[in-house]
Amino acid sequence: MRGWAILWLKEVRALYFSPIAYVVVAVFLVIMGYSFTLTLFISHVPTLVHLFFQMFVLFLLTVPIITMRLIAEERKLGTIEMLLTAPVTEVQIVLAKFAASMCLLMLMLGLSAVYAIVLGIYGDPDWGPIFSGYLGLVLLGAALVAVGLLASAVTINQIIAALLSLSVFLLLWIIDDFGYLLPEPFDTLVVNLSLSGHFKPFATGSVYLSDAAFYLSATLLALFLSVRALAWR
Amino acid sequence: MGSPPMSSPIIVAHQLVKWYGPRVAVRDVSFSVDAGEVIGLLGPNGSGKSTIFRMLTGYLTPSSGTASVAGYDTATDSLALRHEVGYVPEDSPLYGHMRVAEFLRFMARLKGLSGRAARSSVDAVVARLHLETVVNLPAAKLSRGYRQRVAIAQALLHEPRVLVLDEPTSGLDPHQVIAVRELIRELAGKRTVLVASHVLSEIAQIASRVMILLDGKLLTSDALKRSTRTQYLRLAVTGPEAEVRVCIGAVPGVRSISIEANSAALSTRYLVEADQQPGIAQDIANVLADRRLALSELVAVPPDLEQVFLALTRRPEEEAA
Repeated sequence: MRGWAILWLKEVRALYFSPIAYVVVAVFLVIMGYSFTLTLFISHVPTLVHLFFQMFVLFLLTVPIITMRLIAEERKLGTIEMLLTAPVTEVQIVLAKFAASMCLLMLMLGLSAVYAIVLGIYGDPDWGPIFSGYLGLVLLGAALVAVGLLASAVTINQIIAALLSLSVFLLLWIIDDFGYLLPEPFDTLVVNLSLSGHFKPFATGSVYLSDAAFYLSATLLALFLSVRALAWR
Repeated sequence: MGSPPMSSPIIVAHQLVKWYGPRVAVRDVSFSVDAGEVIGLLGPNGSGKSTIFRMLTGYLTPSSGTASVAGYDTATDSLALRHEVGYVPEDSPLYGHMRVAEFLRFMARLKGLSGRAARSSVDAVVARLHLETVVNLPAAKLSRGYRQRVAIAQALLHEPRVLVLDEPTSGLDPHQVIAVRELIRELAGKRTVLVASHVLSEIAQIASRVMILLDGKLLTSDALKRSTRTQYLRLAVTGPEAEVRVCIGAVPGVRSISIEANSAALSTRYLVEADQQPGIAQDIANVLADRRLALSELVAVPPDLEQVFLALTRRPEEEAA
C-alpha cells in the first residue's frame, strides 16, 4: 500500500509538471463552457444531457493523450528498470498510474460541475439524470484510462500508444452501427460492446447494472492485461 | 519468507539461460561471488552483461537456470531480494522533471525508508557523491557525469549488500571516470560490487576478479588469475603463414597463435599464448630455425588482462580475416 501511495504521488506530480495535462483540461473546459452557454441560451432547458454526450466524445479523444506516456515513457527512458528493481510490484505500478490518471479526469469532471451548480442556482434541474450522467462518465473514464494504460504498456512509442487506444475507442464508439448488420447472435454480442450504447442510459437518467458492469469489467480486464504486459519481459 | 541464509557466497548463478524470442542472450552461465568481492564483467557490446545483471536484480526472469543473491532466489523471492541490491542500469535513467533531491527522496521512500531515515539517507548519499551543487536542479539539466552520480546515489540509498553497476563510466570524461573509479574502490570490501563494462582498462583497475563474456557465454570467471598462468610471446617471422602456424603449434605448451600485423613485404607479427613454463620461447626459436623460417623478433609480452581478453574473445571469423 505504501509503495502504491508513493508511486501515485509521483504520477500526480508528473501530471502537474506535464503541459499536456494543462492543455487537455483547458481544451475540455473551453469546449464545455461554449457548448453549455450556447445550448442554454438556445433551449432554455435546465439539463446537462447534451453536455454529457459531448464529454463522452471529448473523453474518447483526450484520454489517449493523457495515458499514452504512462508506461511507454518509462520504458523509453529506462526508468521502468529502476522501478521494477525497487521493492514494488507490477500491480502497484499499474494501479498508481491508473489512479493518477483518474484524478485528472475527476478534476475535469469536478470543474465541469460548475455548470450543474449554475443550473441549480438559476433553474430547477432534474438532479437524477445529472448524477447518473456523472456516474456514467466516471465509469466510462475508468474503462478508457485502463485501456489507454494497456496500450501504453504494450509499446515503447507514445504516439503508437495514443493511436492504438484512440483506434480502439473509436471502433467501440461506432461498433453498434456495424453490429446491427450482422446475423444473430453476433449482432447482440457486437452491439453490447458499444461504448455509446452503454453510456446513453446513464446520460438520460437510467442506471442499469448491466451498463455499470460492462464498464467495470472492461476496466478490470484492461488493468489485468496491463499488469501482465508489464510483467512480461 | 524467512530470513535469508547468511553463508558465503553471496551470489550464486547456476546454468542461467535467457532467450529473447528466437535469440539466446545468455547461455548456460554459472558462477559464484563471495561477499566483499568487486567483480568485473567484461565483454563486447551485446555479449549478455546487462541481461545477466537484469536477471540478478530480479528485473528479468531466467528462461532456465537459477540465481540467488543474498540468499534470495531471483525468480521466486524477487521482492525481498530488491531490499538487498542496489542497481544502476545502463545510461542512468532519471525522471527529467524531478529535482535531484526530490528524485532521491522518492527512491528512498520506494525502497522502504521513511521520514527521518529517508532524509538522512538522502543527505548521506548527496554528501558521499558530492551532489550538493546540483541537488535543487531538475535531472533534465544535469551533465552526463552528474546523472551517473545521481543514479549511483539512488542505488546506495538503502545501504544494499550488493551493488550492481551496468557500464557506470560510459560516456564520462576522464575526471568523472576517475571519480567513479574511486567511489567503487571506496565501496569495495563494505559491500559486494558487480561492474559491467566493455572498457578493459576500467575493469582492470577496479575489479578483484574479472569474468569475460562473449556471445552470452562465460569464457572465464577469473581472467586475472588466468593471466598469471599464461605467457604471451610476440614474434615476427618471414615465411608462409600456414607453415609458421604448424611449426609453432607443435611446440608443447603453446595454446593459440594469432596474427597481430601482416605485411606482404615484411615479416608477419604473431602473438602466441602459451602456458607459463620456462623454455617455450627457446623451443619456438629452435623449431623456426630448423625450418629455416627467419625470426626477426621474439619478445615476451607482460601478461595482462588485455591479452587474456583478446585471446578469449577472438572469433573464428576474425582469425580467418
